[in-house]
Amino acid sequence: MKCHVPGPNVKVLGRTIHALARFGDELYLESLADCILLRTLNASESAYAMLKFNRNFFSYFNYNYYSTEDNEGLKCKISMKSALNCFKSPAHMDKQVENLEIKLDPEQCKLIFQFKCKHGIVKTHFISILDSKAMEAVYTKDLVPNRITSSQRILSEAIGNFQNSDDQVTLEALAQSVLLRNYIDANVDLSKIIRTQINIRSVEFDSYIIGFETIITFTMKEFKALLAFAEALSLPIQLQFESTGKPVVFIIHNGSTIEAHFVLATSKPDNVTQGTSTQNSSRVEKSKRKDSNLEQGSASKKLHLDMEVSKCLDEDSHLFNFVDIPCDIVDKNNCDNIVNSEKTCVNNSVMSAMDCDNIPASPTSRTMIKSVFQRCFESTFDPRSIQRVVLAENSDSE
Amino acid sequence: MESGKTLCSLLKAIQFQECAVFCAMPEGLKLTVEEGKCVQASAYIPADNFTEYHVRDEVDVMFKISIAVLAECLNIFGSGEESSLKMYYRCEGSPLLLVLQPQSVHNVMTDCEISTQTADSLLDLRDEDAEEVAKLILKAPAFLGLLVDLERSCDVLELNLSPEHPNVSIVTYGMQDRSCIDVPKSSDMVQSFSCEEPITLKYQLHHIRLIMKALALSTKVVLRFSSNGLLLLQLKLEKEDQKQMFSEFYIVPLLDD
Repeated sequence: MKCHVPGPNVKVLGRTIHALARFGDELYLESLADCILLRTLNASESAYAMLKFNRNFFSYFNYNYYSTEDNEGLKCKISMKSALNCFKSPAHMDKQVENLEIKLDPEQCKLIFQFKCKHGIVKTHFISILDSKAMEAVYTKDLVPNRITSSQRILSEAIGNFQNSDDQVTLEALAQSVLLRNYIDANVDLSKIIRTQINIRSVEFDSYIIGFETIITFTMKEFKALLAFAEALSLPIQLQFESTGKPVVFIIHNGSTIEAHFVLATSKPDNVTQGTSTQNSSRVEKSKRKDSNLEQGSASKKLHLDMEVSKCLDEDSHLFNFVDIPCDIVDKNNCDNIVNSEKTCVNNSVMSAMDCDNIPASPTSRTMIKSVFQRCFESTFDPRSIQRVVLAENSDSE
Repeated sequence: MESGKTLCSLLKAIQFQECAVFCAMPEGLKLTVEEGKCVQASAYIPADNFTEYHVRDEVDVMFKISIAVLAECLNIFGSGEESSLKMYYRCEGSPLLLVLQPQSVHNVMTDCEISTQTADSLLDLRDEDAEEVAKLILKAPAFLGLLVDLERSCDVLELNLSPEHPNVSIVTYGMQDRSCIDVPKSSDMVQSFSCEEPITLKYQLHHIRLIMKALALSTKVVLRFSSNGLLLLQLKLEKEDQKQMFSEFYIVPLLDD
């Protein structure tokens, strides 16, 4: 395999590597007759990314450069860290780099990245190949009922309102609008967190097809990484998803040269019992007020986004409602079916943890006591009012 | 001295040890720090930078002083303020006196007294017998750009110099990977190149990194390699006026096991 990347495209490649580095620690590279595929999978196998660079991305492209018999092309796995090392600062890479040559050194089993920079400087990186296997995830797209195309600006501005500590985001797709809110873990003290909810109307999107209303929750870190990637290339994002538990696919492409698929596992919204909800209702309301202030501030800055905060508890309380979806909590399809891989389906640790949350809370001893000595806990209880009936005399006469 | 600002930034560039040896010679002032007997860095201010400069010839004016305190005193009116500076030192054991006067405000004056210590002996890394085998003059910002891009995780930097193409190559070894930067002598960043025999030298990357702060202030860097592997880097400071200030780094090579 040997290919040349012209200067401006080196920046794109650099951005890609940086986006992929947010997903996984290893980079799978595969060259086919007409394209190069870059893939990565995160450690918990809940996020997968695939980038496809077509032949016209390169100024020179030969997938079987070293031997004509080799029709397989290149398949290799390299460490993400070393790939990242080659593309240290993608922001001003296009100013320095004139040409990048990627080739395979068959003798040394090294992948060579050779940057020809300005001032005649040549930077060569020899990267060890860890494995010569390819990896592919199986997921469905195009056929799913829910498809939204959005400019990256709308989504990244919406995500900008969330706290940095929010690690998961819930997307609720309704017929007329999309609700984005931060995911709140069941066992977190509600008085200590800020809840954010953003409503984006369907007219804001480039295209909006919701065949089946659903709620999906996915990780924020990877979502931000792909948003940053879309932002760097200023390309729109296509969201394709089915229902809770099935993976959500984000597609970013520019038609002819690059196509990126980012697949994230989705989880079920947390099952919080109604009891907790009412117990903490005053606190919820308090945090909501804080939340709405925050939202109004940001909404005034970004009026075009038309964000609304639902102030009434009823509208918001569906966060606590259990959505009964018959499918498995763990998305078996997602990322687990790895071609050429000996890895067996490993349940996502995040999701199995969520499974435990469905166990109903055991009755506490306090409520037992409450019912036995019920009168003692009443505010009107006066011990003096009880008629003293001596059931047993004091044994000692004194 | 008209302004203590450049002196202050130069001091900060070599501030990788607490104390520096302050040495006043008839030719100029020199402040030197050492890092584990392997790196010696000095800031050199030739006498012509001062409007008035008197040093007694017959005694060695040499003492140890805290860089942080000296830099703080020079910056006493804030970093935005240019202030004229007078420095006095009487004899061994007496403090260094600084009189600073801001240029924008009249009749304001600061009198600083920094106590000094007796200087330790400094390493003399220069070996008169070892001749210079290669000399390289590079543009400092471009060289800094190359150093910034080097991998942080590796320890050793290998420099290959040869009269043939590629004339300069910088090799770093990472965990599994090897990176190599080739700079031909025809490159814009190379202003002069002289090397008769091909040489390979290894340095601790950590030591090379110490020069980066000073490199950011400089316009030009001269690399001199002597036959025993000792690297001398001379950095010319960026200054508006004709008078020059320098920083110098001696870096001891790594020997092959």
